[in-house]
Amino acid sequence: MIKGQVIRVFPKDTNTDEIIAGKYKYDELDTKKLASHAFESIDPTFYEDAKKIKNPIIVADSNFGCGSSREQAPLVIKACHVPCIIAESFARIFYRNGFNIGLPLIECRAIGSKVRRGDELEVDFDRGIIRNITKSEEYKFQPIPKFMQDLVDAGGLMPYLNTKGGFSEQE
Amino acid sequence: MAEKILSAKTNTDIVAGEIIVTPVDLVFAHDGTMPLAIQQMETLGTRDVFDPNKVMGICDHASPSPSEKISNVHALMREFARKNKIHFFENGDGICHQIVVEKFAAPWKIIIGGDSHTCTHGALGAFSTGMGSTDVGAIMAYGRTWLKAPESFKVKVIGELKERVYSKDVILHIIGEITAEGATYMSMEFLGDTVDRMSIESRMTMCNMAIEAGGKTGLCIADEKVKSFLESYGRGNEYKALSPDRDATYKEEITIDASGLEPMIAHSHRVDKVASVAEFEGMEIDQVCIGSCTNGRMEDLRIAAEILKGKEVTKDTRLVIYPASRSILIQAIREGIIETFLRSGASIGVPGCGFCIGRTVALGDGEVALSTQNRNFKGRMGNDKSEIYLCSPATAAASAITGKITDPRSTKG
Repeated sequence: MIKGQVIRVFPKDTNTDEIIAGKYKYDELDTKKLASHAFESIDPTFYEDAKKIKNPIIVADSNFGCGSSREQAPLVIKACHVPCIIAESFARIFYRNGFNIGLPLIECRAIGSKVRRGDELEVDFDRGIIRNITKSEEYKFQPIPKFMQDLVDAGGLMPYLNTKGGFSEQE
Repeated sequence: MAEKILSAKTNTDIVAGEIIVTPVDLVFAHDGTMPLAIQQMETLGTRDVFDPNKVMGICDHASPSPSEKISNVHALMREFARKNKIHFFENGDGICHQIVVEKFAAPWKIIIGGDSHTCTHGALGAFSTGMGSTDVGAIMAYGRTWLKAPESFKVKVIGELKERVYSKDVILHIIGEITAEGATYMSMEFLGDTVDRMSIESRMTMCNMAIEAGGKTGLCIADEKVKSFLESYGRGNEYKALSPDRDATYKEEITIDASGLEPMIAHSHRVDKVASVAEFEGMEIDQVCIGSCTNGRMEDLRIAAEILKGKEVTKDTRLVIYPASRSILIQAIREGIIETFLRSGASIGVPGCGFCIGRTVALGDGEVALSTQNRNFKGRMGNDKSEIYLCSPATAAASAITGKITDPRSTKG
């Protein structure tokens, strides 16, 4: 269960160059430092605003995270203390990367038009329900597949592999 | 075809939608993704790779290094490569995807790259897809990965292309039709007589851009052309035919009649904002770029050279050309193409990603670039106050002469 506040509702097709510009990612391996440039070109106050909110939840329209394979994109978001992202849908490489680094991503129909910036949300992963406390509404989502939930529970792919000692033959 | 390859590799009958664990035939990463992959692999308590012959690293994105910090990142990669005896390619060898297609890719292989345009290798009938650094780190250690077997999107392209209309125009048109998320999670399978007639290089351009429609991979059949291509690199023995089953099922299907297509353009800042060149004809541009993993191969350079021969790039526009690999640059020198470019006023870059990600050639505020690359996101070429338009090498070359977006058919003769 995560309780937090919607920091932003990003539009359709928000891409990885917008999340973290390519011009920074080669210079800096320290994700915390890179995070100060998160969403810089489309939303220059994001980083500062995220600091002021406990559990800033990102909400987005469809195809969030499209574009490059840069794992720095979910990493800088995680480094801004974002506990989860809820979107209509995600681009597939971003989706994998999120789970691999232990950042849960939730796909929820039409979420971008249902919630507003500032809404208080409560995300119940087990039951697949998002409660919008501000609006007194509930939205259902498909619970995360078991393998991906295992990744999140372990804290990401690497801790998962360390626990299991590698990939099992068939999930 | 994606299900066929994954089933063969895992010796099981895989159905789209299943989450599977599969062995990987090649894993590679570049200077944008490998340093983090190495860091992640270290958290596994190992720096040993599973099989040095199946791992490749390359400095191509910010290469040659333009800064101290990047030089240090390159040094970290070199040290890792030396210790693990993996395949390693240096500044000037070329773009990762071009190296992989020349040296490693083959039908039925599973190729994972720490780069979104890894889908390029489907042009040879490989199941190839891009992943992030953690995935690459895990594969380097274990030689396996998890993935969800994708559903397939059949893209049938039929009809004869008009003169100076190319595979780049076709793929831009397709992405414009199905949008940037039209093939999300799916394997885009390019079929039809137009694709059959295309060279492997042209098919690579199509598969390269599958990701721009959200595709997990792009795939073409492996036919005699793939065989000849592999033979030309001394790898004919790696050929094995691949085609879809007669009763193959597709989640989505689209048929494109390519015979009526015009030269196309994608305007900033979206790859799926596609229009005919005619709609933008006359628009002034500051820089023209020819190269990238989409269009930096011999076929592309020959097309551009034919248009630029004996002509000059207008003084108001810069033309930069980056051959996709060292071997392509050598061949282009042999054919006199590089001299044609230089005499026209173009500057020639070191084989690599160059302008595409703005690391070695960046745009100024308010500038407009016309490029043969695959992505025109805001800030892609190093400046979020600039604009990028995408097109074929022919449109790029014709536009460099006039300094304005120009239909390549208007400069004939």
